[in-house]
Amino acid sequence: MKTLQKKLLLFLLIFPIGMFAQNTLKGVVLEGKTQQPLPSVSVAIEGTNTMTATDFDGNFTLSNLKKGQKITFSFIGFKNQTLVYENQSSVTIRLEEDLQELKDVVVIGYGAVKKKDATGTVELITSKDFNDGPVLSPQQLISGKVAGVSISSNGGSPGESSNINIRGIGSLSLTSQPLFVIDGVPIDGGVGGSRNPLNLINPSDIESMSVLKDASATAIYGSRGANGVIVITTKKGKNKEFKYTFNSSTTMYDVMNRVDVMSANQLRDVIALDSNYDDTTSGLLGTANTDWQDEIYKTAFGRNHDFSATGNAWGVPMRASLSYTNHDGILSTDNFERTTAALSFSPSFLDNALKVEINAKGNYEENQFANRGAIGSAAVFDPTQSVFDANSPFGGYFAWISPATNQQVALAPTNPVALLNLTDDSSEVRRFLGNVKADYNLPFFKDVTATVNIALDKSNSNGRNITSDLIPTSDPTWNGSRVAYANNSTNKLFDAYFSYVGSFSDKHNLNAVIGHSYQSFEYDNYRYDSENEEDGVEYEFIDKSRNVLLSYFGRVNYDFKKRYLFTATLRADASSKLNPEDRWGYFPSVALAWNVLEESFMKNLKMDNLKLRVGYGEVGNVNGLGDYKFLTRYTGSTQTAQYQFGSANGLPSFYQTYRPDAVNKDLKWEIGQSLNVGLDFGFWNNRLNGSVNAYVRRSKDLIANSTVDPFTNFSNQIERNIGDMENRGIEFALNLTPIKTDNFEWNINYNIGFNHNEVIKLPDNQPVGGISTGVGNNVQMHAEGEQPYSFFVYKQIYDASGVPIEGAFADLNGDGQINDSDKYFYNDPFADILMGINTDFRYKNWDMAIISRVSLGNYIYNDVKASKGILDLAVPSTNDYITNLHTDYLTSGFTTISDVTALSDHFIEDGSFFKIDNISIGYTAKQISKGVDARFYGSVQNVAVFTNFSGIDPEIPSGIDNNFYPRPRSFMFGVNFNF
Amino acid sequence: MKNIFITLTTALTLLFSVTSCHSDLDQSPIDPDSFTEEDVFANATEAKSALAKVYASLALTGQNGPAGQPDLGNIDEGFSQFSRMLFNLNELTTDNAVVAWGDAGLQDLHGMYWTASNDFTDAMYNRLAQTVSFSNSFIENAERLNDPVVTQYIAEARFIRAYAYYNLIDMYGNVPLVTRIETTLPMQSTRAEIFNFIEAELLDIQNDLAASGANEYGRVDRVASWALLSRLYLNAEAWTGTARYNDCITFSNNVMTSTYALHTTDLNANGTAYDELFLADNGSNGAQNEFIFALNFDGLNSQTYGGSTFLVHAAVGGSMNPNDFGVNGGWGGLRTTSALVGKMGANDKRAMFYSNGQTLEIANIRRFTDGYAVTKFKNVTSTGQRGRDASGNFVDTDVPLIRLSEIYLNYAEATLRGGNGSLTEALNRINQIRARAYGNTTGNIASSALTLNFVLDERARELFWEGQRRTDLVRYNYFTTNTYLWPFKGNAPSGSAVGSFRNLFPIPSNTLQVNSNLTQNPGY
Repeated sequence: MKTLQKKLLLFLLIFPIGMFAQNTLKGVVLEGKTQQPLPSVSVAIEGTNTMTATDFDGNFTLSNLKKGQKITFSFIGFKNQTLVYENQSSVTIRLEEDLQELKDVVVIGYGAVKKKDATGTVELITSKDFNDGPVLSPQQLISGKVAGVSISSNGGSPGESSNINIRGIGSLSLTSQPLFVIDGVPIDGGVGGSRNPLNLINPSDIESMSVLKDASATAIYGSRGANGVIVITTKKGKNKEFKYTFNSSTTMYDVMNRVDVMSANQLRDVIALDSNYDDTTSGLLGTANTDWQDEIYKTAFGRNHDFSATGNAWGVPMRASLSYTNHDGILSTDNFERTTAALSFSPSFLDNALKVEINAKGNYEENQFANRGAIGSAAVFDPTQSVFDANSPFGGYFAWISPATNQQVALAPTNPVALLNLTDDSSEVRRFLGNVKADYNLPFFKDVTATVNIALDKSNSNGRNITSDLIPTSDPTWNGSRVAYANNSTNKLFDAYFSYVGSFSDKHNLNAVIGHSYQSFEYDNYRYDSENEEDGVEYEFIDKSRNVLLSYFGRVNYDFKKRYLFTATLRADASSKLNPEDRWGYFPSVALAWNVLEESFMKNLKMDNLKLRVGYGEVGNVNGLGDYKFLTRYTGSTQTAQYQFGSANGLPSFYQTYRPDAVNKDLKWEIGQSLNVGLDFGFWNNRLNGSVNAYVRRSKDLIANSTVDPFTNFSNQIERNIGDMENRGIEFALNLTPIKTDNFEWNINYNIGFNHNEVIKLPDNQPVGGISTGVGNNVQMHAEGEQPYSFFVYKQIYDASGVPIEGAFADLNGDGQINDSDKYFYNDPFADILMGINTDFRYKNWDMAIISRVSLGNYIYNDVKASKGILDLAVPSTNDYITNLHTDYLTSGFTTISDVTALSDHFIEDGSFFKIDNISIGYTAKQISKGVDARFYGSVQNVAVFTNFSGIDPEIPSGIDNNFYPRPRSFMFGVNFNF
Repeated sequence: MKNIFITLTTALTLLFSVTSCHSDLDQSPIDPDSFTEEDVFANATEAKSALAKVYASLALTGQNGPAGQPDLGNIDEGFSQFSRMLFNLNELTTDNAVVAWGDAGLQDLHGMYWTASNDFTDAMYNRLAQTVSFSNSFIENAERLNDPVVTQYIAEARFIRAYAYYNLIDMYGNVPLVTRIETTLPMQSTRAEIFNFIEAELLDIQNDLAASGANEYGRVDRVASWALLSRLYLNAEAWTGTARYNDCITFSNNVMTSTYALHTTDLNANGTAYDELFLADNGSNGAQNEFIFALNFDGLNSQTYGGSTFLVHAAVGGSMNPNDFGVNGGWGGLRTTSALVGKMGANDKRAMFYSNGQTLEIANIRRFTDGYAVTKFKNVTSTGQRGRDASGNFVDTDVPLIRLSEIYLNYAEATLRGGNGSLTEALNRINQIRARAYGNTTGNIASSALTLNFVLDERARELFWEGQRRTDLVRYNYFTTNTYLWPFKGNAPSGSAVGSFRNLFPIPSNTLQVNSNLTQNPGY
């Protein structure tokens, strides 16, 4: 490698070197702290195109120097140094590491800017500020850290995905999740069989995460920027000497809370009140006292180990890491096991004119998915029965057996312990994300860099769901079943762009990017079903699709004396999901910023930063829209949906049917327009800094599955561009370092976001939010003038003592009857105010951090109560099994379930909360052995929740609490070695 | 030089890659289950699969049985099956049926307090309109094929479209008349205009359809067009104000002299052949000779949560043994009222009720044991075997939509209403039905007993739970009035009259919101 590089140097740069050997400077560049030579440091003569780089031993040579010329030494992660040439013949330069630099550079897509020069609303979180605790996937690193960003896990399973909203939701039926860009590669959802597509990355490989919030920042990502962008940059190698870290931790998970269902004795006391109760029912009651939730949840353990090496191999900066994660879930049988490997090389060639970055990340995940049906089943299963029954033909598990058929009663719940132990749902997921990025500094236009980025994102999963032949069932022929699947997805990226950086007369600074991007997304899924095979019908299914996104983009950053900053971007995107006429979308943005402190009249002000920003941008969204929706397509039926025409040889002849699918030739992009006004400030050497942002974000032409006149299409609902929505809000973020001495440092971070979301145009109301009472019953409604997902319910009437009167609702339209037209809009599941309150301390070798969040005004439909707290449910109309009840019955006294009573506002509760997410404490021991530093740490996750919500957890992304996998409290201990 | 070369190469590579991938934006489906219009209408063989969808849109609910790729949105897929909704709207609203479940809008039906946003009236409107759209698309595309086999397919699709329109004007009155695939919002036509359209279509296709009995089982022949005309003309006076009883008699006669015949062989030797019309093998045990138009189901190959799977499962509950019905469990929903039970003669074997543990009178509609259960539909063959799905989940039994005995009753009623039929012939036909029902002639009636009210009651006895009761009651003006009351009519335990506007269902409020050309039926 070294010789190759030297040969290349000789070969390609014959001209400038060594024509006249006079005025030559030789030197060596060392790392300031370790005194080790630094390779690949850029050495440039200011005001000329002459530059070179240090070799593997840190040596460099510059010729044809003139006295007084300035020579700049620069290297990523180190402070620049300038030397004035005074005819020296040799020199030794020591570069100091720049801890501030990483914090100052924000990645903005196809480039990076210094935070001071940024015009958009971009927040950068570096590894130093990441959340501690059992963090298994990247999004958890920044939960609570960024104003206006809500990150909630979708449940308490290890490795679970999260619901992430930046400044409220921006779409009704397409995704409202932000785009993730990992080392320049926009990624999509991965494959089925994985818990979370972001599990690809080991969180400890991440160097920084930039959150691009407003459209002036995200417009460079065009049709995918509507919901914000989170840019993840992974750690790269830089130092010459190899450094190693080893990290190991153990976590214990404990169940925090459970559904308040009746105990066996409580149920025995009330069951006789059920109108279906008779002697048959009393014969069904058992003598046991089983807490079914105790039976399905357990204390779980997990462990993480990771190892990384950073250094310089064969003259090439590199980093390699390996990690292993193995966590059980609190729901019995749940397990998540993952191995990740990451490798990055950053070689430079041609005197740093060609910089190459090679990143490869791979993960291998083994999942054991617990049967989540057990959560709902445990809540309703009769507590008077034991888990086991010696006479049961179903593996000895108690089941409701029909005396007539000797099988399980058709509609009875299944023993939750049997559900967990007699089903086996597992998968293996492999994912590879690799990219090669080359930046080539054009030889005749030193100000211009050509960049090519080629990436491959390939996932593959295999899974199977095996149900034992012993599982309680009403099917007399049951002999077990096996559903297996194999999913593949392949995404390819090709980016090419030119960047220009230049200054004119020290006043005008220009930075421009122009480029092209191509990305294709393809999946190919296979499924096998043993039940179908036994029935002699089609048992193998293939599902494939492909779409392509093609783009051109450009950006200009201009500033005058770093005082007035201007940014304009334009992206043109074309998606194969749309018809050729509406395929191209153009997404522009402009932003202005004013660094007020650069003004001469501000010179005396004791401030470190004062910047005013205003930006406007337009972005698009078609993520989540199916492919080919604009084409007239026919879907063939499966072999279980054929139709008989006649017979042959005494057997019916079945025909596959072809259905013309609903079609919309006029589908176009959803458009997000957003205006942002912001102010950044910093005092006291930036020990007090922060920002205020106000925004209006309008999403237009929202696509929703909406009603059409059924005579005009092949369905009653098609995906159409129908509505507009608006998010308005204010965000405020403050960072304060009240104390900063050598021994003691205290940091406080506070952020608050107010957001109001409203549907401003929607021709017909869209019912959403299915609930478990009744089939096809919805509790939420999208409607013009309301917040999206607003609850649409009847107004409960209460008696004098505040107890709800069953079936009594306010006749809101006064027509003497209670029907649909008496429903009203009552609150919504989204928080009006989100806060993050974080603090950390460091005293000598001790450190401590506390992370907490507040959510105000998020409401929840307590479906658990509504569907389980009704007396009539205890004994079904068939009187052949018993169901447990929610203790809410004891206060409400509700006896009859109906679609109307389930839609009472009584079941909608204020889910506002204050959560102490995490408290962690660490102790760093320097030089525990020669060259080895160690840090010992412990943390508690989900420390405390303060809320009035009566369910198990007030943080429910959908706003409908039903069979939620409880988030556990966890205790983690770990040790980290650096050597 | 090298540098220039590298620069040029880079530039050329970029340029090449940029131009080459533009064509990549034109993606076409790569899924093996996805087809283009050219594939589907390539030839008569492929077109037959498209015709199968036109039929299946009345029997199944989507492209993945029993559920998974639904035809309709915004409703539970099982609820959206045509004959299940036909049961809900035409039987559950009457003296024939009650249901125990509390799904949104379901109790409104028997209680007769449904609104314009009722899920079931909404879904039925959409299902029928979708069948019209599927038929229109088939007719339009198949016309290009120019193949005599396809001409017959087209006539069958036109029959299905006429049948859908027959149901639309029966239930909703004035609806859009759309005969081509167009995205422009249609205008509303009057019930009389659509009546004329159905009539003209059925008359026009009769010779393109196969001769009587000449088509495959499951596909209609020309007798179906006559039978539907018979039904249409019988309702003409009630729907358009113009009586067409003579036409009803003409086309009833055509049907009665065709190859179709009452099924009278008592294969399972239980005293009547009637029960075999509703058994798992009714598509092959001889009952099919009576089926002029039936929906075909199969426990393995044609699965749905509607159809006969619904009729069998939903009717089983209480102390009934699901094994006796060829299924693995009951859904504990459907029963009947004492009004139907009371119509049955002592030895009438059509009185297929289950009373063990059930009360005759209903105190609580939501309790399965209130009201007699009905044992008419079973997933058991005439030799006592369970249907093809051994697990007992899905049912084989075909659901007849038009069968011969109805035409006998149409003939008798049209004659009694002043048509030019023969009363002797009418009596003879009624007694054929009754002799089959009783297993002997003890149930036969004298000509003096043959009155309009007798025919209505006989229709209840013969055709209950087959999707015609509401239409019959409307024709007699008994549906909403206090002339005839049944338990929980109008949501009153002993029955009460409701507004006469309920003779029609509302146009769905969802559809009204997207098509301002439509006017809601009065009263809603």
